Amino acid sequence: MEWMSLLLDALWAAIPAVGFAMIFNVPRSALPFCAAGGALTYGLRDVLMHAHLSIELSTFIAATTIGIIGVFWSRRYVMPRPVYTVASIIPMIPGTYAYEMMISLVRMNTEGVSDVLLSRFIENGLHAVSILFAIAFGLVLPSMYYTKRKQPII
Amino acid sequence: MVVKVATMLLEYGAESRLIEQLSSRLGVALGCTSIEMSLIPSAIVLTTLIGDSSVTSTRRAYEQPINMSIVHQIVTICIEAEQNPRDIMRVERALANIHANAYPGWLIIPMIGLSCAAFSHLQGADWAGFFITFVAASVGMSVRRELSRRNYSLLIVFAFTAFVCTLIASLAFFEGFSTTGHIVLSSSVLLLVPGFPYINSMLDAFKGYISMGWGRWAQATLMTLMASLGIMLAMGLLGVQGW
Repeated sequence: MEWMSLLLDALWAAIPAVGFAMIFNVPRSALPFCAAGGALTYGLRDVLMHAHLSIELSTFIAATTIGIIGVFWSRRYVMPRPVYTVASIIPMIPGTYAYEMMISLVRMNTEGVSDVLLSRFIENGLHAVSILFAIAFGLVLPSMYYTKRKQPII
Repeated sequence: MVVKVATMLLEYGAESRLIEQLSSRLGVALGCTSIEMSLIPSAIVLTTLIGDSSVTSTRRAYEQPINMSIVHQIVTICIEAEQNPRDIMRVERALANIHANAYPGWLIIPMIGLSCAAFSHLQGADWAGFFITFVAASVGMSVRRELSRRNYSLLIVFAFTAFVCTLIASLAFFEGFSTTGHIVLSSSVLLLVPGFPYINSMLDAFKGYISMGWGRWAQATLMTLMASLGIMLAMGLLGVQGW
């Protein structure tokens, strides 16, 4: 039953990946790969979080995985890598955390600074920033490895 | 020729390393000795060396919406040029044939609505919230397309779109229509996340193009700030508290 809901969540995550790929005008042939990547990263992150890893670490591992897969895909289909990778990590973006952070900032402005608001602001802000950095590092890591070698990837 | 390719790559949002590699490969394929270039976010300075003589030219890059399919077509053209070296006519014809491959509005607007609705579902909103998010994000996307077509500055487009999205999403708070209002509010503006500029800036900075990385990072941060400005304006207008 748990695995069913994990699978369903991964399928839900494929929809935003495709939607955002369309904003960036990705070529039509790459759309299925973006969907697969989105589902894969979100599913992987969920599985890892089930195994009691922190959300930042599991995000990092998922982003690294899609970065490595993106290298293979881009070589086979002659496509710049960000086409696949950026669309795939979109479902992991910490929108809710960033939003909560902003709300507490606004309330601190109108109602005055209190301990609860301040701690909520810092907590949510740290979560959002560390998840963003985890995503970015995960994506950069595979290409850092390949820049060591002289010949280009595609 | 080469500088035209490089400018297009910069305008449509390619990574700096890709720009430099592709232009120098294209230059060598067309018969230059080497290509040297320097990049800043709004312009390109490019020198072509042919034997002992060299030509330097500067091009301004204008802001365009990110379009990955154009980048992909340019990559394909460059690889073709490497396989048939010194065939300038062929490259010119191919460059003239590049098309934008824009998705039609009736497809992209519901798709974005569905994406943001899927976000809200993943965060645990109920079905009424799902529906409101769908409507808010679809309207937001059509507003964004309409404003972009009229050539408003990207920053203004972001602020106004966030404003409209938040106005519609805050319907969720009235009459207890949905119990998960704050999730609806936060996921309906997710269509404004500048994912590509952020990732590009990180990739650039890590690969040694520090100034490009900073420029793109500042651009992405400005977009986010403008979007949150729109959200705050809408919330202040309605007096919605967010929870």
